[in-house]
Amino acid sequence: MFPDFRSPKAYVSLILLAVMFIVPVVMGTAFWTNLFVLLFVFAALTTAWNIVGGYAGQLSLGHAVFYGIGGYTATLLTANFGITPWIGMIAGALISGVVAVVISYPTLRLKGPFFALSTIAILEVVRLLVIHEESWTGGSSGISLPLNIGWTWIVFRDKINYVIIAFVIFLLVLWASWFIRKSRTGHYLIAIREREDAARAVGVHTVNMKILAAVVSAMLTSVIGTFHITYLTFVDPGSAFSLELSIQIAMFALIGGLGTVAGPIAGTFLVLPIAELARGWLSALGNGMHGVVYGVILVAVVLTIPRGLAGAFGPMIERLLDRLPYLGTRPVKQAAAPASTEKHVIDRESPVLKAEHLFKNFGGLRATNDVSLTLYRNEILGMIGPNGAGKTTVFNLLSGFLSPDKGNITLLDRHGTWVKCTTPDDLAHKGMGRTFQIARPFTGLTVLENIMLGAFIDTSKRDEAERIALRVAEQTDLVKYLNTEARNLTVGGMKRLEIARALATGPKVLLLDEVMAGLNPTDVEKAIQMIRRIRDSGVSILLIEHMMQATMALSDRIIVINEGAVLVSGLPQEVVENPAVIEAYLGKEYNDA
Amino acid sequence: MFKIKKLAVVLGACGVLASSVAWADVKVGALFPFSGALALLGQESYRGLELAVNEINAAGGLNGEKIQIIKADAVDPTQAVSETKRLTSSNVAAVFGSYASGISYAATPVTELAGVPYFELGATAHKITTRNYKYLFRSNPNTALYGVSVVNALHEMIAPGMGLSPKDIKIGIIHEDGPYGTDVAATEKQRAAELGYTVAEVLPYSAKTVDLSSLILRLKGAGVNVVLQTAYQNDAILYFNQAKSAGFTPKVVIGAGGGYSLADTAKAVGPGMNGVFDLDFPQSSINPAGAPGLDKFLEAYKSTYKSDPQSGHSLTNYVGAKAFFEAMAQAKSTDADKIRAAVLAYKKPGGQSANGWGFDFGEDGQNKASTFYVMQWQDNKLVTIAPKDLALGKPVFNK
Amino acid sequence: MDIFIQLLINGLLLGGAYIIISLGLTLIFGVVRVVNFAHGEFLMVGMYLVYLIATQFGVHPYLGLIPVAVILFALGALTQKCIIQPLLNADEHIQIFATVGVSTILLNLALVVFGANVLRAPADLGTHAVMVGTFTVVTGQLITFIIAIVLAVLLHVFMHRTYLGRALRAVAQHRYAALLMGVNVNTVYCIAFGLGTAFVGIAAGLLAPQYPVFPTVGTYFVLTAFVIVVLGGMGSLYGAVAGSLIIGVVDTLAGYYIAPDLKEVVYFGIFLLILVLRPNGLFGTSTE
Repeated sequence: MFPDFRSPKAYVSLILLAVMFIVPVVMGTAFWTNLFVLLFVFAALTTAWNIVGGYAGQLSLGHAVFYGIGGYTATLLTANFGITPWIGMIAGALISGVVAVVISYPTLRLKGPFFALSTIAILEVVRLLVIHEESWTGGSSGISLPLNIGWTWIVFRDKINYVIIAFVIFLLVLWASWFIRKSRTGHYLIAIREREDAARAVGVHTVNMKILAAVVSAMLTSVIGTFHITYLTFVDPGSAFSLELSIQIAMFALIGGLGTVAGPIAGTFLVLPIAELARGWLSALGNGMHGVVYGVILVAVVLTIPRGLAGAFGPMIERLLDRLPYLGTRPVKQAAAPASTEKHVIDRESPVLKAEHLFKNFGGLRATNDVSLTLYRNEILGMIGPNGAGKTTVFNLLSGFLSPDKGNITLLDRHGTWVKCTTPDDLAHKGMGRTFQIARPFTGLTVLENIMLGAFIDTSKRDEAERIALRVAEQTDLVKYLNTEARNLTVGGMKRLEIARALATGPKVLLLDEVMAGLNPTDVEKAIQMIRRIRDSGVSILLIEHMMQATMALSDRIIVINEGAVLVSGLPQEVVENPAVIEAYLGKEYNDA
Repeated sequence: MFKIKKLAVVLGACGVLASSVAWADVKVGALFPFSGALALLGQESYRGLELAVNEINAAGGLNGEKIQIIKADAVDPTQAVSETKRLTSSNVAAVFGSYASGISYAATPVTELAGVPYFELGATAHKITTRNYKYLFRSNPNTALYGVSVVNALHEMIAPGMGLSPKDIKIGIIHEDGPYGTDVAATEKQRAAELGYTVAEVLPYSAKTVDLSSLILRLKGAGVNVVLQTAYQNDAILYFNQAKSAGFTPKVVIGAGGGYSLADTAKAVGPGMNGVFDLDFPQSSINPAGAPGLDKFLEAYKSTYKSDPQSGHSLTNYVGAKAFFEAMAQAKSTDADKIRAAVLAYKKPGGQSANGWGFDFGEDGQNKASTFYVMQWQDNKLVTIAPKDLALGKPVFNK
Repeated sequence: MDIFIQLLINGLLLGGAYIIISLGLTLIFGVVRVVNFAHGEFLMVGMYLVYLIATQFGVHPYLGLIPVAVILFALGALTQKCIIQPLLNADEHIQIFATVGVSTILLNLALVVFGANVLRAPADLGTHAVMVGTFTVVTGQLITFIIAIVLAVLLHVFMHRTYLGRALRAVAQHRYAALLMGVNVNTVYCIAFGLGTAFVGIAAGLLAPQYPVFPTVGTYFVLTAFVIVVLGGMGSLYGAVAGSLIIGVVDTLAGYYIAPDLKEVVYFGIFLLILVLRPNGLFGTSTE
């Protein structure tokens, strides 16, 4: 629930936070209290934005819409019904949450810039409607907050009270951001940001996750909006639903480092004072100079340190922090339960996966033509065929990435029931894992974190996920690379990581898509051993391969696909000597060879 | 072409860095848009205040103390709030402002909360003085009066002069959708209904619009022959150009200040501007006989700024500032309640100030004795045609 | 009925300027695959340049647009080379921020240099209206419309009949394959971006007689341009033309039948609907 305050990172952060609070209290003048209220408000806004913009990777450039809803709700309630802004704050947050769901559902599947454009459009529409509906919104001149003094009304003569509230809200948002980042939700969000379909394959319900992030972010932004607007004692559509504000908070997050907890705060505390000072000094050179400063800093950061301050200086700071002492003794991490050594053997009586009469067309091309297959418990079934035969299409059909035009796919889930699933994340939950032909690790995460993403399917506790991941890493020879970033692995390592991540979901059925491609002979040999170990641990495997040697060595049965249809299926030796198969691969002339 | 307002902003920078006061000075804050979109007229407004202060200081100051101005730049309402907070914590006796309604509306809660008197010299939105504030006072007339004045001018002078009776008239009210335009339009509509006029259309538009052709077609289609517009410069010019293109020629066009009072608008529109009526604060082109002190003001303006006033705002702010300073002198104290009592007791009939305004403040701080004057563009010059004592010309009716 | 036809005429002609602006935007997206958030600011720069040329040298905007288009071509190519190119392989959001940053810089620079005043370039030709039957047509809009169609045709010919045009299309379809074919992809990108901004320079000159320039003028036009390009389909030239005409007519019709201050709500509403229901637009190609 809370960080381990005995670790250097945590207590240094606490000290910094304390300093941030003490400075305005000690300095006391209007300038300092105003500056720090502004800093806390913007740092909180950026951190809240980061939850959907940084963690989930959905770049919203219209976030001010929630800020404005928070402000308007509270002000309207206070001005018209005499309700305290504290309740207005909650009401605003609830409305923002609902609005977030309504907006996200249709727009979240838009890609990067299109999503950003849609958020801008929504912001503009809301702003124009608020101006238009001036009979109750006060129109373009806005509404002035009635000046009732006191904690009930969040209007004070004594400025320090504002600093206190601003700081508390900032802490709240910071905690929320930290909590999400460290939880399963945070890992899932980052996985979605990096490789959405790979995330789905490990069981992440991507749409729901993104909406959750949007709602949390919206509600926090709304709360901050309520506070800031009561601080300003007035609200108007232009400043509340401001495109400039939306861009600013996104900018601070980028400069500080998207997707990190401390990044947005660093970005705000470093850039905002510069810009505010620029507004004061440089306005001698002309109004708008501070805007130029923002723009130049943004472009400079984008070109030089695209991962922001956290990305550029984070590792160095982490190293410095690691040198500091831990207060007390570190808790010992439990090891994972060892894998059972029971050897599972093929059971021809129990099918685990059935595909019946699958058809799939792409336009005029019949890619899959009446394909039926059965996978038995603890069997290794190899799928071979010439290039372009349609093997990967069958895989995609089986794993839910494509839906068949005709036909049925049923899977025996972990409880022994036959289920029909349609989405990859659903299938992952029911016990099917798969790898991709082109390895798609989550490049920005370490190997350990990659595997953990798969482990999170069954547990939401980080420690347990870590244990499972460690065990799987042993199974797949990745223990040496646990703390390397996935982007730095060799081809062989990435392939094993693909398998590891799928394994961590604890599947009963594993689909392997050309895992041997690109491996040298030694690696191929190791891979064969690894796949056997996996089968022995109780997993049924269906694999696509071109490497005949490996396929022959591994498969209990082989099925041959040609031109989208099943050509023949049976024991390896039979299949390989089948004339039809030889003809398919090499052509008629070789049949007699 | 384009100016870099070094003078104003160096002063502004000094204002920003202003430190402690010289002994025995009265400090007052000046909150105006010195930069940004509203800078031109914000600066012009400030000059009125500055000339008033210079005049009082030259005559010995406020009860013997020199007045020192601390400038605060308010580009937008949010900056207005933070700048006002800075002013109130610098121990100013009062804050003067601010030309723009949005800025005034945002800044005044801050001064009210701090118990510092705020003297509004030029912003017109009615909303500003409807919040039961004790320490807010406004010398200029507001939008509630604006719409009424426009329609009254139509009813009493223009329609009869054009030979139009109320039943011949179909009014189209078009306005920019900001606080200024919306407020004026609302009171125009209300007053027109009271007097029995038909208002065929009320059409708001965004001030930044690039196309009013559909709006003009609407007016044409509704048979509008009297147009009441509240616009800034850009949209006023756009309206005239596009109306000309569309062949829309209403019998009467009356503007409510903003772009309608600016020489640049007339220059861009050309001869089509002649005959157009406009109601606004008194411009400097009024009859000096009805406005004692006007010549002195113009002279001071010319020698201080080496040019003629760019609009009527400087005169308006000057007159208001002088009145408020007189009231402050009569209060003999910087205590806010005493100043309030003095302002409410300050009464002057019309015809005694440099722009002809009188002073009579209500409980809400609004001066009930200031009015809008009626003007008309003639030969590309804005000529004051009413009230009678201040008129410099007669209306021209193009039947 | 008369009014409806007049509205149609106004709307189609209004679409003329948008055709030119959105052709540029869609070209940049189609080839370089970057959504140029700074497109509106390039228009603003163009309009300021046209204004300067008109006031300093007394050259009418219709002539002044030639040097302005050249300058903007250079500006666009430079932006591509210095800012977009280093980021071609970076994450999408980095590219978004890069163009947002450029837009912020340009807008505020204009504010610093020119102030917030509204400036009109003096121009006689292009502001008058002629009667066609019982309907009025503003000459400036008609000229803009005709030039827009001519440009669209020229662009089509360029893309399909010249080597450079084909190179652009090749790069648009598959960057690596084009590279392997010997096409200098970076040069192609610079040309595409430059062409896109040059178009906006032409639009600036054509718009100058009717509209004044101020620092935020670009924002208004470009949001509409984005709606058009999404409606027509990102990367499709026909889509840009069709979208412009549709949106122009929607603009005038909505302004008349609904309310002038809700025009934008109407077409942002259309924008959102398209994004959600048919993200590829009317004629667009899939972006994969």
